[in-house]
Amino acid sequence: MRPEIQEYNYDWMMGSTLKAAAALPTGTKKETELTYRYIPYYKNVAQSFYSAGAPGVQTLELLAKYYENILTAHAQGKKICATTFCNSPVILYAMDIVPVTFEILTAIGAMVWKRGMFDYMDFCCETGMPETSCSSQRGAQGAVLSGLSENIDFVICDTPGVCDTNANAFAYLSEYLDKPFFQLNYPSCIGDDRSQKYHVDDYKEMIKFAERHSGNKLDYDRLAEVLEEVNKQDAMIADLEDMLMLKPTPVPPIYNLALYAGRFCFSGHPQYTKLLESMVKTAKGYADAGISGLKSKEEKLRVFMCYIDHYTVNVNFYNYMEERGIANVGSILSRNFRDNNLYVKDMPGSSYSVDMSSPEAMLDTIAQMNARLPMVRSIRGPYDKKGMWLEESLACAKMYNADCMIYNGTPGCRNTWGMVKPFARDIEKHGYPCHIMNDDAFDDRVESWDATRERLDEFFKVRGLL
Amino acid sequence: MNIVAGCDVGSLTSKAVIMKNGKIIGSHIIKSKPRPKDSADAALDGALAAAGVSKEDIKYCIGTGYGREKIEFVNEVVSEIKCHGKGARWMLPTAETVIDIGGQDCKVMKIDKSGNVGRFSANDKCASGTGRFLEVMANVLNIGIDELGKLSAKAKEPITLASTCTVWAQADVIKYINSGVSIEDIGAGINAAMSGRVAILVNSVKPEGDIFMTGGVAKNIGVVETLEKLIGRRIKRARKADPQIAGAIGAALLSAEKVNGNGRKVK
Amino acid sequence: MKVFNDAATRVQCDSITRWKKEGKPVVGYTCSYTPAEIFYAADILPVRLRGIETDGMEVGDTYFGPFICSFPKCILQLAGKGKFSFLDGAIITPGCDGMRRLDECWRKAGEDFDGIVPDYFYYFDVPHKSENHGMAWYIEEVKELIKSVEKHFNVSITNEKLTAAIKAFNKGRRLLNEIENLRSKDEIVVSGTDVFAATIAGTVMPRDEYTKELKKWVTALKKRKTSLSKNKHRVMLVGSISDEIDLFELIEDTNKAIIAGENLCFGIRYEGNEIKEDGDPIEALADHYLGTSVCPRMYGKYKERLAMLKERIERSQAAGVIMQNIRFCDLHGAENALFERDLEAIGIPCLRVEREYGPHIDAGRMKLRINAFLERIDAKNDHKLSEAVAVSA
Repeated sequence: MRPEIQEYNYDWMMGSTLKAAAALPTGTKKETELTYRYIPYYKNVAQSFYSAGAPGVQTLELLAKYYENILTAHAQGKKICATTFCNSPVILYAMDIVPVTFEILTAIGAMVWKRGMFDYMDFCCETGMPETSCSSQRGAQGAVLSGLSENIDFVICDTPGVCDTNANAFAYLSEYLDKPFFQLNYPSCIGDDRSQKYHVDDYKEMIKFAERHSGNKLDYDRLAEVLEEVNKQDAMIADLEDMLMLKPTPVPPIYNLALYAGRFCFSGHPQYTKLLESMVKTAKGYADAGISGLKSKEEKLRVFMCYIDHYTVNVNFYNYMEERGIANVGSILSRNFRDNNLYVKDMPGSSYSVDMSSPEAMLDTIAQMNARLPMVRSIRGPYDKKGMWLEESLACAKMYNADCMIYNGTPGCRNTWGMVKPFARDIEKHGYPCHIMNDDAFDDRVESWDATRERLDEFFKVRGLL
Repeated sequence: MNIVAGCDVGSLTSKAVIMKNGKIIGSHIIKSKPRPKDSADAALDGALAAAGVSKEDIKYCIGTGYGREKIEFVNEVVSEIKCHGKGARWMLPTAETVIDIGGQDCKVMKIDKSGNVGRFSANDKCASGTGRFLEVMANVLNIGIDELGKLSAKAKEPITLASTCTVWAQADVIKYINSGVSIEDIGAGINAAMSGRVAILVNSVKPEGDIFMTGGVAKNIGVVETLEKLIGRRIKRARKADPQIAGAIGAALLSAEKVNGNGRKVK
Repeated sequence: MKVFNDAATRVQCDSITRWKKEGKPVVGYTCSYTPAEIFYAADILPVRLRGIETDGMEVGDTYFGPFICSFPKCILQLAGKGKFSFLDGAIITPGCDGMRRLDECWRKAGEDFDGIVPDYFYYFDVPHKSENHGMAWYIEEVKELIKSVEKHFNVSITNEKLTAAIKAFNKGRRLLNEIENLRSKDEIVVSGTDVFAATIAGTVMPRDEYTKELKKWVTALKKRKTSLSKNKHRVMLVGSISDEIDLFELIEDTNKAIIAGENLCFGIRYEGNEIKEDGDPIEALADHYLGTSVCPRMYGKYKERLAMLKERIERSQAAGVIMQNIRFCDLHGAENALFERDLEAIGIPCLRVEREYGPHIDAGRMKLRINAFLERIDAKNDHKLSEAVAVSA
């Protein structure tokens, strides 16, 4: 790793950058213009968020708050848990543990920094991790492994059975730093009694582990409070989802990112509620006026990202969608599969419900919710089996009126690259043009953004979509 | 009169060195031919001519490099990792870490006082951290490989290049040329991509002491300087000989050990 | 040994052909978590699926994406080329992401190539933990598998038959353990290549025939006097899945090394462990196949893995460890890095290499690294020797 990078605490650097960016719009125009001169590269990123209006600034505030929590955790006597995006932070907030979600932190770094997370990703490889392992963890993980972040206290991941590279990254981290490790694992099916029971059994073990290593006993009254917040958030998410189905959709492309990033960081936390309120308000305004959420106000195409979005520097993927008049009707990361959503109607057994009537009911709620986070829900079994990726993608494409589907991931994504070719073929058979992006969502060194954009343009042109 | 030789048949170039009493009396580098045997013969002939001695004068010769098994005139073969370690220590007597970037391989090794290799690491399948990568890119830019190295210093805003795959990187470079990006920025991007790959390998062996670089790419100042920035350490230069022939020098030194009986017999 | 070599180097070896001629079914499986005893109990030949004999990758690459390990791709390639036409059934296991996707890729390839998917195609869902509910899940899976085999092949698999199967398999396990004992002696009389061939043979040959042959071979080995390990470095080979005799030969053909032990899937690894012969046979099978297995896919078991490796290094008196991982096998790749860190720290030289499996195998590149590694052990020994001389002087 370059020596100058080793001079800065990564969490502090990102946290203060985001905090400053969130505060900038509160200044006068002159102050803002002056500040832009000092941040020639970061300017574009900040402006992308500002141009999304109040929710854009709220997103920056939320991310800044997330870092603040990490940076102040130990001073407040809280433990820090390294975890993954598809493991809900709800339980951690209920137990007063501070989560560090690697994929989110990697995406933030990749989007706001000109050099992306290259140095940190490479540091993982310098310690011995294969360069073929997933970049989504490798970024933030590099900062942790190099000792440039806040120390983590223990590790929880929930991807064995779902994603090897993800689970492997966390297992490696725990061993490299000699930190306690817990893994939740998932069977290959979902919705049947046997797997539902497995979810709960496994989850109970996880709680025991978290209690042991945080020193905090799970307080069910506190859990009820957090779940109450989740309830509120889920209702707003369902509102946003309904609006995403409108044609034209009043929801701007970047809201998708804010929606799931917020959920992965702050599910059950009031900070996320604030962001959702602001997004719902703005989108409702557009919906009432019957206009598209795109800046051009002209929706030319509706794209369903059947896996993840693209997160490299300057938020360029979302800006590209704006430029081309493409509505982003969501990705595998957007959907939470709460039972109050329209899209779950055609998929029995796919959703979770919230029941706070007893501790047991709450445990069941949270275990089933966790089992329905992106990837752990539908990438766990063969893609064409009941409740899995094909069924989910087709249901969403239909519900959200998508014109086509796009797969984007990372070369580290063994669980999807293992079958995305036949998957895309099946999608095409159902009438949706499907494009497989060969890039890395977090690392422009695999395929430069220019090349990625060109390939997207080519797909839209060749298939007569734009 | 102890005249010994070392011959290093690589994938891009072949090198031969003739040594007498610990001094180089002749060396020669050629572009490798399709058949390793022909490369070895031509390299040795050139070195013999330069030294003004004949093949019969050579007491012992060790072959190394990618084509080592096919060289006919050698007494034995040794891996190029060992030879580069030996050669590097001879060129820079304080060297403890050696970076060797060859045509199709990149290796980083730690060596002891006698130039014996300890822990080492070598690049994996792809060509993107090797001399071949630079050669392909220089061809696309239509410049010599030496010129490519000098571009980094003149660059204003180096491009970010797809660095995990040579073919994709090549496509990127062509695109940048067509869109009018300056050749300096492209060249610097190429050198940076190359250095980035090598830096991972260097840091993975946890370099100690003086770092020395061998192989043809050691002559690419752009890569060397970018690499220095990435690893945060100086890479020492030595003027004793061309770093590209370090492997052949190491082979000749091992030959000399054989003749002098200083070295322990190789099993 | 001839019969083992045949079994180890040909996908459809003679003993499989003979079995088929008797009109009896064959079921292939992909992972060491599948209890082969179940099939033995039903007079079905269990055959571990292999990737050897591939000469192209056009089928494998059509269905699998580019960033996938070449081992499952090779299995698919063979299936697409009809090389597994002897199979009446196949069991797919989520050993790793690459292997579990063989399920979809094979079935989807079957839409394009007639008759390449066996009639019986089963997904055996092995959990990633062996404690409590993990073990309970696995036992249920085993019971489900048994029911399904009984139904499809119209057989009955009773507990008595399972116990008999365990006993039959244990005979071979004991013999393999005897080979491990032989290899732990100061002088080794058998090459690593031969031992590996004999172990692979056990995953494809009818068990009774195998045990008989193995017994003969072990008896002969015990009488051997000529040491094959003199003046050679004893090394261990660990890492990603391998069923390639060539890889062992590549190392032993240097004439500078003998493979004194390995820790590979397909190898003796757990094959030398006996299974409990009394009590409930399904629980005994589960205890062995899930309970005692610590493959990196179980996540969080590194310390057990390291302890096991150290014990094997000690037992085999290995002077160095060669660690390989197939490209895109992150599980073994990352684990090898940790092994290297921890073993080098206690003075055990390690070589860590990434490689390809199958037709893309890059022997030249591998050979260079192996030779340099053996030269490194030479230098280390020379150093020790000169230190010893200095001390005695």
